[in-house]
Amino acid sequence: MRAIDAGILICTECHELNRQDADTDEQTCTRCGALVHARRPNSLVRTWALLITAAIIYIPANVLPIMTVSSLGQGDPSTIMSGVIQLVQHGMIPIAAVVFIASILVPTFKLVGIALLLFSVQRRQPLSARQRIWMYRFIEFIGRWSMLDIFVIAILVAVVNFGRLASVETHLGAIAFASVVILTMLAAVTFDPRLIWDNTESDDDHD
Amino acid sequence: MSDPVDAQGLSDLPLEDLVACHECDLLMRKPELAYGEKALCPRCGYELYAHRHNVVQRSLALVIAALLLYIPANFLPIMQLNILGQSSQDTVWSGVLGLFNTDMQGVSIVVFLCSMAIPLLKLLCQLFVLLTIRFNIGRSYGLLLYRIYHHLKDWGMLEVYLMGVLVAIVKLADMAAITVGLGLACFIGLLLVQVWLEVVMSPHQIWQALSGEDAHAGD
Repeated sequence: MRAIDAGILICTECHELNRQDADTDEQTCTRCGALVHARRPNSLVRTWALLITAAIIYIPANVLPIMTVSSLGQGDPSTIMSGVIQLVQHGMIPIAAVVFIASILVPTFKLVGIALLLFSVQRRQPLSARQRIWMYRFIEFIGRWSMLDIFVIAILVAVVNFGRLASVETHLGAIAFASVVILTMLAAVTFDPRLIWDNTESDDDHD
Repeated sequence: MSDPVDAQGLSDLPLEDLVACHECDLLMRKPELAYGEKALCPRCGYELYAHRHNVVQRSLALVIAALLLYIPANFLPIMQLNILGQSSQDTVWSGVLGLFNTDMQGVSIVVFLCSMAIPLLKLLCQLFVLLTIRFNIGRSYGLLLYRIYHHLKDWGMLEVYLMGVLVAIVKLADMAAITVGLGLACFIGLLLVQVWLEVVMSPHQIWQALSGEDAHAGD
């Protein structure tokens, strides 16, 4: 049985149970004072909006250069992908793999994954609840790691600072990339995981 | 583990005897836990709550340790770079400043928030919450700060920053001579203490202590 069927609301912040009050629209948690809702309001619409914005910015984030590392006046602007390729050419496969996963696979997977979650919640298709909840947790857990490239840029800018001898310049792509990461993280926060289970036919399918 | 199928009487039980899963909304009878045990949701596997020993004292010790490490971790050099006799240093703070001075104010603010401001705010919230429980004063502020802490939680990214340091070292390795600084050791220490703290400070017990349901919380 779901808590919502018993007229009980869980506080999203402190997880305290509250009996649903039929008279008010804005009920607050008896323990911590946060607003409680049976389900987060407009969760699907807000998640879609954030996701679509992220998908649009995803294009400049990958096409525009993020930085130029120049030594002795030479150096070409590099995009996220060309940074990975450079690492591979220098023979640093493990670190190239980490950057590839964090900066290219994870953001792409997040965009597709959240879209799939939203589709399957709205259309009762095609993943099982268990698959969906694992997907949700994976997306929530992995999202932060995409910030990796942004931190690398910050470190390089600070440390490679020798004027004409060697320097690092940043470009617009970095802003776009940081925005994508933040927007997809927000989308994961806005999505209410309880919706995943609402659409399963029977709620006893846990075994 | 409680039995979720026995549903008839569930909605009539008092709220104190019930627990609901935060991630899938399954309503259950509340299990009694001994120290060191934890309850998982039988349907989706989410950790409902854990019951640990001496949560407040152990967390306080860890918070103070983390705060002591915070300043050296952020302001001591993480690495030093030498090219043709010239050298430059990198700290977390100089990374933020460097970005800010290259017309990337937006990105530099994001880096500042994720690697410095939010980890510090999280620790301060935790410190204050623990102190209000320990000395039994200002619980209402404690509740508010603990709520803020939960909102900040996802946005502190120390471990990602550490990976960024590793990637930067590898990228620079064939371009210049690198020496690793004391700041890096402090940074790793800070990260470890903070992860440990998150494991020890079980949210369910802290919420109960803050709302006064657990009379012995401060002991």
